[in-house]
Amino acid sequence: MTISRRDFLNQNAMGIGSVALAWLLQQERAHAIPKNIPKQDQTYDLSLKEPDFAPRAKAMISLFQHGGPSHMDLTDPKPALTKFDGTDYKEDVAYSFANAASKKLLGTRWKFRKHGECGTELSELLPETGRIADDICLIRSMHTGANGHEVSIRYFHGGIPGVLGRPHLASWLLYGLGAETQNLPAYMVLTDPGGQPVDNINNWSSGFMPPLFQGTVLRPKEPRVLNLDAPAHLKGEPQAQNLKLLQTLNRQHAKRFPHEADLEARIASYELAARMQTAAREALDISKETKATQELYGLDQKETREYGTRCLIARRLVERGVRFVQLFLAGQPWDNHSNLRTSLPAICKRTDKPSAALVTDLKQRGMLDETIVHWGGEIGRLPVTQNQGSPEKHGRDHNGQGFSIWMAGGGFKPGMTYGATDEFGHRAVENVVTPNDYQATLLHLFGLNVDELIFPYNGQVQNITAGRKARVVHEILQ
Amino acid sequence: MRLAVLIVLAVAPLTSTSTAADASRNLTYERDIRPIFRAHCFDCHGATDKLEGGLDLRLVRFLKKGGETGPAISAGKPDESFLLTRLRSGEMPPGEDTVPAEEIAIIEKWIASGANTARPEPESIGPGLGITEEERSFWSFQPIRRPDVAELTSFPSELRVRTPIDALLLKSAAANSNEAIQEEGHSGHASFSDDADRRSLVIRAYFDLIGLPPAPDEVDKWLNDSSDDWYDRLLTELLASPHYGERWGRHWLDVAGYADSEGYSTADSEREWAWKYRDWVIRSLNQDMPFDQFVAEQLAGDELAGPINGDLTPRQIDLFSATGFLRMAADGTGSGANTPDGRNQVIADTLKIVGTSLLGLSLQCAQCHDHRYDPIPHTDYFAIRAVFEPALDWKSWKVPNARRISLYTADDRKLAAEIEAEAVKITAEKSVKQNEYMKQALDLELMKYEEPLRTKLREAYQAAKDKRTDEQKQLLTKNPSVNISTGTLYQYLPKAAEELKKFDARIAETRAKKPVEEFVRALIEPPNHTPETKLFHRGDHQQPKQTVTPASLSVASPSGQPIQFSLNDETFPTTGRRLAFARWLASRDNPLFARVIVNRIWMHHFGKGLVSTPADFGKLGTKPSHPKVLDWLADEFISNGWSLKSLHRTILSSTAWRQSKEPSDIPSAFPVPLQRLEAETLRDRMLAASGQLDRTLLGRPTKIKEDDTGQVIVDGTQTRRSLYIQVRRSRPVAMLQTFDAPVMETNCESRPSSTVATQSLMLLNGQFILEQAAKLADRSRGEAKRSTAEQIELVKHIRRSEIQEWQYGYGSYDETSNRTGSFTPLTHWSGSRWQAGENFPDPKVGYVSLHATGGHPDILGRDVIRRWTAPAGGQVKITGNLSHGSPNGDGVRGRIVSSRSGKSGEWVAFNGGTDTPVNDLTVEQGDTIDFVTDCRTAHTSDSFNWPVTITLHLTGMKDRVAVSQDAFHGPAESIETIPGQITRAWHLALCRQPSPEEMQLAINFVTEQVETLQRTPTAIPKGQTATGQAMTSLCQTLLGSNEFLYIE
Repeated sequence: MTISRRDFLNQNAMGIGSVALAWLLQQERAHAIPKNIPKQDQTYDLSLKEPDFAPRAKAMISLFQHGGPSHMDLTDPKPALTKFDGTDYKEDVAYSFANAASKKLLGTRWKFRKHGECGTELSELLPETGRIADDICLIRSMHTGANGHEVSIRYFHGGIPGVLGRPHLASWLLYGLGAETQNLPAYMVLTDPGGQPVDNINNWSSGFMPPLFQGTVLRPKEPRVLNLDAPAHLKGEPQAQNLKLLQTLNRQHAKRFPHEADLEARIASYELAARMQTAAREALDISKETKATQELYGLDQKETREYGTRCLIARRLVERGVRFVQLFLAGQPWDNHSNLRTSLPAICKRTDKPSAALVTDLKQRGMLDETIVHWGGEIGRLPVTQNQGSPEKHGRDHNGQGFSIWMAGGGFKPGMTYGATDEFGHRAVENVVTPNDYQATLLHLFGLNVDELIFPYNGQVQNITAGRKARVVHEILQ
Repeated sequence: MRLAVLIVLAVAPLTSTSTAADASRNLTYERDIRPIFRAHCFDCHGATDKLEGGLDLRLVRFLKKGGETGPAISAGKPDESFLLTRLRSGEMPPGEDTVPAEEIAIIEKWIASGANTARPEPESIGPGLGITEEERSFWSFQPIRRPDVAELTSFPSELRVRTPIDALLLKSAAANSNEAIQEEGHSGHASFSDDADRRSLVIRAYFDLIGLPPAPDEVDKWLNDSSDDWYDRLLTELLASPHYGERWGRHWLDVAGYADSEGYSTADSEREWAWKYRDWVIRSLNQDMPFDQFVAEQLAGDELAGPINGDLTPRQIDLFSATGFLRMAADGTGSGANTPDGRNQVIADTLKIVGTSLLGLSLQCAQCHDHRYDPIPHTDYFAIRAVFEPALDWKSWKVPNARRISLYTADDRKLAAEIEAEAVKITAEKSVKQNEYMKQALDLELMKYEEPLRTKLREAYQAAKDKRTDEQKQLLTKNPSVNISTGTLYQYLPKAAEELKKFDARIAETRAKKPVEEFVRALIEPPNHTPETKLFHRGDHQQPKQTVTPASLSVASPSGQPIQFSLNDETFPTTGRRLAFARWLASRDNPLFARVIVNRIWMHHFGKGLVSTPADFGKLGTKPSHPKVLDWLADEFISNGWSLKSLHRTILSSTAWRQSKEPSDIPSAFPVPLQRLEAETLRDRMLAASGQLDRTLLGRPTKIKEDDTGQVIVDGTQTRRSLYIQVRRSRPVAMLQTFDAPVMETNCESRPSSTVATQSLMLLNGQFILEQAAKLADRSRGEAKRSTAEQIELVKHIRRSEIQEWQYGYGSYDETSNRTGSFTPLTHWSGSRWQAGENFPDPKVGYVSLHATGGHPDILGRDVIRRWTAPAGGQVKITGNLSHGSPNGDGVRGRIVSSRSGKSGEWVAFNGGTDTPVNDLTVEQGDTIDFVTDCRTAHTSDSFNWPVTITLHLTGMKDRVAVSQDAFHGPAESIETIPGQITRAWHLALCRQPSPEEMQLAINFVTEQVETLQRTPTAIPKGQTATGQAMTSLCQTLLGSNEFLYIE
């Protein structure tokens, strides 16, 4: 082992060759393995793995909309709701906020119209999403069964409502498929400069899997990757000088111990680190994008610049082999308990154009076929008014019984809608899709079988749904 | 390490048989075939009384007889042996396991050669697999035998045989290298590399024994010690250091599986008092407690503690703390898993810790069936479990919080009860208040409704839930906002919540007055508790079989028969089982324990154990590289009364340990690799170098937190040694984890030493190293050595063009040109202010002086001038306040004067203050802005303050803000001190001087970096100079260098 390792490095004295790189990556694996799993258990690494069957998708970008977008006002037109606006709702409703609870139905204040050849009806609040109607598959029958934010968020990410400590969907993808790139983390999270999303860092936990499979958070501002970017005052030449001095000292030191492969490996690992810095920096440098592309994402407009930048970065990352990218918003801007009339248009304005641009851009680059885009929150909202005193202050309370999300690319049928809620939009009643179905369907598109992608934990084998019923929704796949 | 284990796993079944495949040897069932069956077949064919297909593979005659489908083998006729057919087809064994082709070939050869046995088979055999002579003859189960060692004086002195260790290593090397000698042509004597130089040896001893670097003066002390016994005294001093216990305690805590949290659930709740055990370990090691006692107290402290009468004695507290060892396993029974599964898991993990740490065996592999490779019958596993059963009884379980032992004395308890009574009183008051608020909230809410609905709603709400009429229920459903509960009260009356919180604060305040109650996490066996231990079929507690009694491990007992421990030793209130087990462990009869321990000690000193799998001395482990050294050490350890410190001294006195690690002409008989610092030692070394290390011993763990990206870091600026950082199983500290500190799931048998790019990124850009580098640079500046003349010659090339952003002087203002007339720098620094000379007032120019916020002018024409030089061109905005405190004299005048555009403002302050704003002043790089203060007409009582803030707006960049009082500084450091700083940094970081070449390299580096930084002065961090930053970079480089990371 020692001798061959040294040979690798000698043969690549000019820099890190692929063999040394492979060895270093091997080390990364060895490093990541928890030490107490039974011996016969497998090792964990990020090398490419064969899927169970031919995959449709290679990468995924999830635009997670924390808070619960109001589907009756955005994606799920309900004429009956408008008709009975202001009258009492007959069904039982579970409220989260008792003090403002009411039974008065609240019809949408915005107009819906048909878009594209498919004729999918969308609200005027999402004009840009309207433009990609023919590229997306709109699911109107999502159901978590629970109103709480965290409960449903964890259901989407980890497979069981409310339960913490489970690996994120992306961790499962990495575990099952490995990474396409060795210069960048394979699972990246783009957070909002306004702060963490609700449920905080649990949104990208690898749970009981080794941290190898955990999401790497890109900071919302420069430096976007921790430890990857030099501090401002060392950036560029000063750090290059530091590295040069360091490597000179290291080489002199290594000369005294010619048999120590470790010393050579560490010299190489410093170079690899430097290379990763370059790769990540390059990936994150959106100044290389054309003006047209930048404008497509709304980088020229104040409201869309921030979210647009992140959507664009997401595309650049996927382009460079990153497997999974997820965008979060600070807090939960879709949680429109009050001032629905102003707060909902504001968050739509911020996200509609960049989200649509991502799909358009991926499509025009021929990447959409292999890249899944997900847009959606963890819950929807109630058809009844959340009473805030005066009509302009009214909002809607939580609703996990029925809501919408949309998917695009990577094998999803474009230009279709699927499932339905009841006439008021309260409950999913037709072709109900649960987060577990969502997970099974996604794994399927990646060529993985939801029941067979298993991980040993606590003396049991686990899968993403923890054995809960999950259905691949073939009807929405090409 | 992990990889190594896996590789071993893959080849292990072959090693036992590949030699046997040697055609010249006669294959026998016992030696060659049985291990294959043990690994693949016995589970269903011999280990239990249930035989699949009626086939028993334990004896050859059973094989010949066969099972339901006829004979399994036909001696001499492999082609007619059904067993082979089944193996070859892959039908057997069922499932995914297959017997490798090489092993099938051996079975075939064995059948062909007549299916021989080593000796006549017994007439009858008992249940289970039993243990064969072959299995018992495995090296680790043989008694420890002290090898003969030739008189040390009989070796030629140039071989430097200082200890029996050296004698044995040389002898072994000589024996191994007979062939090599002929090939390579070097002399017949095996030898060691040269002794390491004294400095390396001192550093190595420090890290090995206390895990900290020697301070520069400590290095000097040992280098200048001319006595013959300096080395011996060095060891004595280090072994007596209280930091010894910290260093070696951490090693033990790895195998014990120490954690400050319970694990299991994602909440991973804190294990609040675990540190009492950690402290006990540190103290015991510092006392050099005999190791047999050290282990006995951990296994059976409660049995040694005697009855509790009133307050606990200090000795009892110690003994209970020691039993924390048996409470280290992850434990979910306090967080949702208080189930038979959860409890049995804790017991199984505890036994795994016991097995790997004390026996060096994978005992846990015999939990479900006989061990696949080692002669550990299923029954042995449960016999050991029976030792612990009375204390760890899954049918009579205490959850973690219920088993804590309070250290309250009777007096503490009485006082606490009194205080609690007070708290209860306040709680009652709160309850009254809460009811009032509920009523208020309801009244308010009902105001929204008209009568008679209002009254109806009130009645509905106030009616008891189960007494409400249907109409009332409907009313409340239709008007859900009336359903006020204590939980939603805050939504209706936000103020009420505040008020109620005040009660909570008072309650908390009162309770805080109680004497602090400390606990220990102990394992205490209840008296007269003798539960039966059942063997669990397939390890499943739902399938209990026969009763098993406590006993030693069969194969590690003298006759191959387990030593039965008394079920209930009458001399103790407890059963005494664990104490009996501890005594068996340390008895001369036990071949494992002493070997396992000395091997671990060796591993930590040499980087690799004599047995490189420290937790597996079984068949899948590796064999000892030097069995005689292992046995000699084990025997020596026991003979020296199990003294760890003597053992360290013995090992560190050996030539083997004292060798230089640089290769010499002749390969060493025992080459030792460099060792990378462990995670904790690396962090500690950085703190020691920067001067930030807090050496406080023992106590509560250092808190951790998650930063905004979820990375776990030490909370705040806590700089205690890393072993005191809280160990949360689910929240490993990023810096430590990156450098291979274990993430405790159960325990850590040995750490890997990885080399990964994330480590490099952390060393290049990590916050912690950047901070420590800055501190090290500061410290080096403060403690700089005197630079030599030649060195000063070398730094001449460092460009002095570094712009002094602030200068302090005096001079005049020219009223005609509206510019500064003259500027003379003040040359004397008093330590807090600039003045004209050593004496104040100065005989020539009087009172002129400037301090951080203001100063004092002298007569007109001796105005004081605070000068700012623009580091870059841009727009300047100035804010400030000129103030004068005295009612005497006529105050002072302040002017802001730009070198480019002249006077920009003029103000007077007399017994009061005035703002001095200037907006939109354009400057080019190098322009000056002077803050000129004069005495007006009367030169009396002219003390003033004039702090100013200059905001320089640069196009396309962040504003640069200069605050006069923050930037105030004494004389700029002289370039001449830089070589001395470099020398000091080298001493502090690497414990040595830089060589002349290194000094040149470092100076070139500083010169180059200063030049680079000066080209973009705006990039230099606030409060830092270009040379300061270059020195910080140099320090960071030293802290990230291989010489810092690896101990030679």
